[in-house]
Amino acid sequence: MSKQKGLSDLAKIEERLAYWLLLPTLIILLIIAFYPLGSVFYNSFTNKAFASAEPVEFVGFKNYSQLLSFTIRELPPQVDAGGQPVLDDTGKVLYTRPLDVLPREPLRYRELSQFSLLGRRYVVGATDRDFLRGVWDTLIFTVIAVTLETIIGLGIALVVNVKFTGRGVMRAVMLVPWAIPTAVSSRMWEWMFRSTRVGFFNVVFQNLGLIQDPIPFLTSQNWQLPAMIAIDVWKTTPFMALLLLAGLQLIPGDIYEAADVDGASKLRQFFSLTLPLLRPTLAVALVFRTLDSLRVFDLFQIVLAQSRYSMASFTYYQLTNNRAMGYSSASSVIIFILIFIFAVLYIKILGGADSE
Amino acid sequence: MNKQTINKILFWVVIIAIFFYMLFPFYWAINSSLKTEAQLQMTPATFVPRDPQNGNLAPTLRNYMAVLENERFMKGLLNSVLVAVTTTVLALSVGAFAAFALGKLRFRGKSASLYLILAMTMFPQVAVLTGLYAVINALGISAIPGMILSYMLFTLPFTAWVLTSFFKGLPMEIMQSAQVDGATPFQTFYMILLPLTMPALVTTGLLAFISAWNEYLFALTFTSIQPQYRTVPVAIALFTGQIARQEPFGEIMAAAVLVTIPLIILVLIFQQKIVAGLTAGAVKG
Repeated sequence: MSKQKGLSDLAKIEERLAYWLLLPTLIILLIIAFYPLGSVFYNSFTNKAFASAEPVEFVGFKNYSQLLSFTIRELPPQVDAGGQPVLDDTGKVLYTRPLDVLPREPLRYRELSQFSLLGRRYVVGATDRDFLRGVWDTLIFTVIAVTLETIIGLGIALVVNVKFTGRGVMRAVMLVPWAIPTAVSSRMWEWMFRSTRVGFFNVVFQNLGLIQDPIPFLTSQNWQLPAMIAIDVWKTTPFMALLLLAGLQLIPGDIYEAADVDGASKLRQFFSLTLPLLRPTLAVALVFRTLDSLRVFDLFQIVLAQSRYSMASFTYYQLTNNRAMGYSSASSVIIFILIFIFAVLYIKILGGADSE
Repeated sequence: MNKQTINKILFWVVIIAIFFYMLFPFYWAINSSLKTEAQLQMTPATFVPRDPQNGNLAPTLRNYMAVLENERFMKGLLNSVLVAVTTTVLALSVGAFAAFALGKLRFRGKSASLYLILAMTMFPQVAVLTGLYAVINALGISAIPGMILSYMLFTLPFTAWVLTSFFKGLPMEIMQSAQVDGATPFQTFYMILLPLTMPALVTTGLLAFISAWNEYLFALTFTSIQPQYRTVPVAIALFTGQIARQEPFGEIMAAAVLVTIPLIILVLIFQQKIVAGLTAGAVKG
């Protein structure tokens, strides 16, 4: 009886100690994560401005509707007095200006993009086109960059997994792009992407005869995202490769010997042994990279500044340049929800796969 | 040539290609950092610093001199060291306490706490940007302690998570025999477990240090009205020359090289440990 009591006393002491040990962590996280997150949620429903004397008002979902509202309108062709469509010099149909079609009340919609469908012309308008474009660009950036990083990373991991002299050097070299600050690598690549023949890529492309005139990689609408993806792939593929390499090294070598004996080709071995066994590692690496890439900030803010936004850099500029705390908070919340959805999706997919 | 030789050659071609891919941007940065403003504007750009007139090799150290005399940059280095070291020490000590509880003690709410910590390692910093800015203003602390405190957001869950897995891996018998010898749980932690986990602490600390050293979003936001507290990444991102009218890319590249060298040395020395830490944080997680 007394022994029982002694044990439960010990258990109680242990439990109390555990809570004390966890307390500092919880307090810190409360101050820097939970409370700020709560205040961001709260502020996102207000018109709060930083360092402003204006009274803070509760505005409901106004910030959200301004960030997210978009509309699609048809652009009718311009017609002359005789009812004939007006053509421009090259013989293309001229359409009404988007400005005349998009609604102005209660909020003004601006042109986000245009597209043609079944012979008709449409315009997409948004109340905050910078934000929606930022969300779209960030999603595209994430999907393409993470896909490329996974494929190239897997390739590098497979190569470096072979035993060869200088493998240690190779692994160290792979850590270098990962280790340097993104701010530094962004500026290095910014310089390599210079729009004149001062820039490395323009010199090389021209020497190879690929281009006539220098490409303005960082100012041209079409080249901005590919350039961002190229920089990100360079910076984070090594991380991916190192994780996958560690995963590869967990696979016992004798299963390949058995496969060799059975006469399975190397390609077959890769798809039916390596890939399935690597799946847990691959999954974790994918989650990390995707969530990381969705909140990309350094790269966009340093290289493109305000000429093109990622979700995070849009939030930053709303806070620091416009001092729009409420508005910026609302965009923070949207990013948070988006990342949360991605995280849950991943966990669902991976969790489901694990229990199979 | 037989098939094996061809394979071998192909293999080495790939290895060398990867090697160049990873290191070329650094080569280009070093190359550019050794050029004068006039050499930088030469078209087409040269692969080594050359004299614009006669094409001879003509590297210069002017950019490095300028950077070392640039007060903002040097102050940035100092700020970065201060912030990153303090962050690491704080995250390790607080994180080790939590990790010991999570890895070795039995208590109610343990798995919930573990999930919370894991979820926090993926927390998007930008989601609390405005809120954290307000907290730091409300606390009335300057940018340096502000950065240290906010860097706990990504270093603390990470160190706690990785150290938990290290603690878990330690045999229970060590603790039990210590308890039989009459040691309190705290003594067990302090005198037995901590020395055993020293290698893990070094690894985790390194990774925490690198992430704190490289952080940009918070540093940029919190130092926007206090430029004297800027860290290195911010200083490099906002680098302006002493005299140059346009962006002084020669100096920026020199600064980039100067910041990168210590990190490369760190990586070379601790290569094995860093890889082990990365994988403990991700693969085993």
